[in-house]
Amino acid sequence: MGWGGVGATLVGCDMPSTVTLEEGKEEVVSYLVPEEFVIPGVGVWYASTCRQCPSGCGIHGRVREGRVLKLEGNPESSINKGRLCQMGQAGLQAHYNPDRISKPQIRRGSSLVDATWEEAYGLIAEKTANISGSKFAWMTGSVSGHQSVLLQAHLESIGSGNHFVHETINNAIWAKVSEDMLGDSNPRIRLDKAQSVLSFGADFLGTWGSPLHFSTEYAKFRTSPRGTLIQVEPNMTLTGANADLWVASKPGTEGALALGIANQLVSKHSLSMSGLPSSVQSLIRSYTMDETVTATGVDADRIADIASTLKRRSPSVVLAGASAQGHEHGYQCVAAAMVLNIILGNIGETIESNGEFAYASMAPVSGNTQSLVAFSQAAADKRFDVVFFSGVNPVYTAPKSLGLQENMANIPFKVVFSHFNDETTAMADVVLPLASGEEDWGTHVAPYQAGVGEISIQQPLMEPLSKDTRGFGDILLTLLKKRKESAYEGFADYYAYLRNAFSTIPAEHKNGASDDQFWADVLSAGLIDVGVTDKPLNVTAVEFNMPKELGNSSDMVLAPSARLGFWDGRHANLPWLQEAPDQISKVVWDSWAELHPSTAKKIGVKEGDMVKIASASGEINVKVYIYKGVHPDVIAVPLGQGHDAGFSRYAKDRGVNSLSILDPKVDKMTGELALYSTNVKVTKAAKTDDVLVRFGGSETQIGRKLVSTVSADVYERTEGGDHVA
Amino acid sequence: MSLSNLIDDWSRYRKGREEGGFHDYEHMWGMSIDLNKCIGCNACSVACYAENNLAVVGKEKFEKGQGMHWLRLERYWDEPDLGEERTTEFQQHGASFLPMMCQQCNAATCEPVCPVAATYHTPDGLNAQVYNRCIGSRYCSNNCPYRLRYFNFWSYYEDSWPAPLQMQLNPDISVRDKGVMEKCTFCVQRIRTVKDTARMEDRKVRDGEVQTACSQTCPTGAIEFGDMLGMYDPETGVAETKVTRMWRKHQVEFGKTKQNKQTPDMRGYRVFEFLNTDPCVMYLDRVREV
Repeated sequence: MGWGGVGATLVGCDMPSTVTLEEGKEEVVSYLVPEEFVIPGVGVWYASTCRQCPSGCGIHGRVREGRVLKLEGNPESSINKGRLCQMGQAGLQAHYNPDRISKPQIRRGSSLVDATWEEAYGLIAEKTANISGSKFAWMTGSVSGHQSVLLQAHLESIGSGNHFVHETINNAIWAKVSEDMLGDSNPRIRLDKAQSVLSFGADFLGTWGSPLHFSTEYAKFRTSPRGTLIQVEPNMTLTGANADLWVASKPGTEGALALGIANQLVSKHSLSMSGLPSSVQSLIRSYTMDETVTATGVDADRIADIASTLKRRSPSVVLAGASAQGHEHGYQCVAAAMVLNIILGNIGETIESNGEFAYASMAPVSGNTQSLVAFSQAAADKRFDVVFFSGVNPVYTAPKSLGLQENMANIPFKVVFSHFNDETTAMADVVLPLASGEEDWGTHVAPYQAGVGEISIQQPLMEPLSKDTRGFGDILLTLLKKRKESAYEGFADYYAYLRNAFSTIPAEHKNGASDDQFWADVLSAGLIDVGVTDKPLNVTAVEFNMPKELGNSSDMVLAPSARLGFWDGRHANLPWLQEAPDQISKVVWDSWAELHPSTAKKIGVKEGDMVKIASASGEINVKVYIYKGVHPDVIAVPLGQGHDAGFSRYAKDRGVNSLSILDPKVDKMTGELALYSTNVKVTKAAKTDDVLVRFGGSETQIGRKLVSTVSADVYERTEGGDHVA
Repeated sequence: MSLSNLIDDWSRYRKGREEGGFHDYEHMWGMSIDLNKCIGCNACSVACYAENNLAVVGKEKFEKGQGMHWLRLERYWDEPDLGEERTTEFQQHGASFLPMMCQQCNAATCEPVCPVAATYHTPDGLNAQVYNRCIGSRYCSNNCPYRLRYFNFWSYYEDSWPAPLQMQLNPDISVRDKGVMEKCTFCVQRIRTVKDTARMEDRKVRDGEVQTACSQTCPTGAIEFGDMLGMYDPETGVAETKVTRMWRKHQVEFGKTKQNKQTPDMRGYRVFEFLNTDPCVMYLDRVREV
């Protein structure tokens, strides 16, 4: 339970059995007798929570004549402050998607056939009746709020502690380093205070942390006095495209570069290393300018320039993201970035504590890839008889080399909760069709909140499109009841459960409002701030080393970079996002490989030509896009496409999945998949009829003043100190 | 047509003849887009698809240049392509992003060439397109220097919204059929709703009350939208609108082909201003530390 115990807080059985937007109504009333607040032609806005990525932005849905037509950000939400990204906007197309599944499916032989909920629940009850806890597991995406509470209750009812939480796009190593060095896995990043940002592949405008939140903070960062952004990464992300200085890095050298910059700060700018362990101090001393240039291939002038900028533009903040953490020594690379923060005195200045969410059972549980590796191994060891999957598509996101697809065969009974048929449902024994984000109830606690403890409410914005889909919470409740958990019998549905939970919330959050008024206020605002408890940062820099030899392979490195759009591939079925040109390459409806012009010349390919990318674990053929935003030793294939035919008409037969050919390497400290450490051979391949389609005819402005640029000096001179608009 | 209407129209026509131009604007909707804040994320464009019933045409038609993105996110590199003269090894200052939508020109080049007056200027200062008057000559598109008009070569709706996707369509505006030109309207349906509400409440439209879909969703607040006629009113004490203030601050004025700024370094500019299109969209320079 989120608040209070289960048994003590039952409120009888007069809960509504069917949820309509008007509380207490028991059935859907036809429009002959419309609900009194429905005015034909007038849109009404309801608050809810976006479910397109784990960031947990608040949304408003415009409802007219019983349909939700448009989503906007909820201005009350501290996360997105009324704004919404393209994935959030496209949430409607996940809801109204023509390829949503609308009936439970049960495996009969080699195929899945439609079934009833009774049959599905009956089969699940049969398979889990006498299961021992160790033989059962859940695999989910990031989860929080009351869904998390019920999920834990379900695990407890079976006596299992096996919960694998998987997200391909994650901050797991940053979180681990922060935990180890600052005593807080989720520190607050003050972009608004920072005068300079050095980011090692942290795409905070696209995929790192809470991208929409950081975008709103970025606007403050760029307002006078305008902060300077330096981005170091193997291929350009959305954040890199907005950098004042973009530096190409060879994957794996990020840590060496960070230490080299630290060396410059100490030796040339007299910053102090005190507080760091002596082994780290001598590590920094060993990265002299010559050593760093040799290790990273970055010019000496550039390294000196970055160091002096960080010193001059103080306070600064140093971040590390996907391309810095995706190595066998990923932890060390991120740790080196964090050491820079300590040397620069950023802790307590631009890196603060976010506090701790007060209700542990509802606190966000963030996914990672270590869980994917562990799950695959457990399946290989035949540890599980029954596994439930929800909010994940591990058969797609797991590199083929992990053998997850084969290992899945070792699990006798697999239940997949899903909105769509995908690579994972194809292997399921039972598929349970979920209500969409716009049809379901829920409470969500965002993983990154700037010093507040908001619980964001997800409420249905319209009646379900199909009568045979069920909400995630509703299914969990039913499963719990079938486990003969008498404590849940009083709740007719998940709405009743949530309504009751909010009745039992500690009185201090109710501001003296009556129970009904409080509930109405919460629904209307879409969220409630229950505060956080203080958790001051405690700097204890840990010891770590840095491998000098990164393997002198002449092969290239594959960069499976992620984008705000398809995310980890989950949104490839949304036509708006397929037709929205990629922010960097401007490719639509396809995959592409990014190559540096000099590399393309070597391989002998032009834009649109096909290349074969072969790793030790597999190969893919993909068309190339050539530009100067990628390191010459790197070939980048952004995530999203390459789905099996089952995943909707829009994603069908489209592009490749670069995750599939990654080697099964992991970061040695955390077990996270080393996504940026697969060596590949790239060769020219035969062209097919399928062409690379891109938006825009010209890559440069050809001298026209379309986008005009001025220097930061000019900006400060004319608009400095002026914070208006 | 009543006599008073006739007289009003005639006097308006005479004034226009004698002094040049239209004078009785109720509003003049304009924008200010700060490229220092724009991150090129594309949220505005997808918001526009959602708000304005824009068809998804698919890969083959997109290749032929038939994408219907009323608001498109252009991306330019500083450094030339492969094969051109090599300058530096990398795009070391990132990309240049430009959100491009109909510039709602006050001297619109699309308007005079329409043989049926399907595109015309409204008293709101909008460059309007009357769908059911349009005969599909495409002269307007041909004449638009910004390439911001999108033609329905096919009945895109037939494939664009397979059930139940069509339930998302905004009932406040139409779905366009084959043979019709379409373009950004500054979310005229939102303007209309707010104006009607204000009229019913017997008051003026407030600054910030109308938000276009793009400006509302923009993650960094780079797009400012408002009434350019919203000047400071000394009698009522009503402040000038935000967007007017931005234009004034950046010293960009209507009716000019070249701005004569007191402070030449102020960032405001209008794209292709020298063509005398007199756009209602002002951009603010991208800024880079160099």
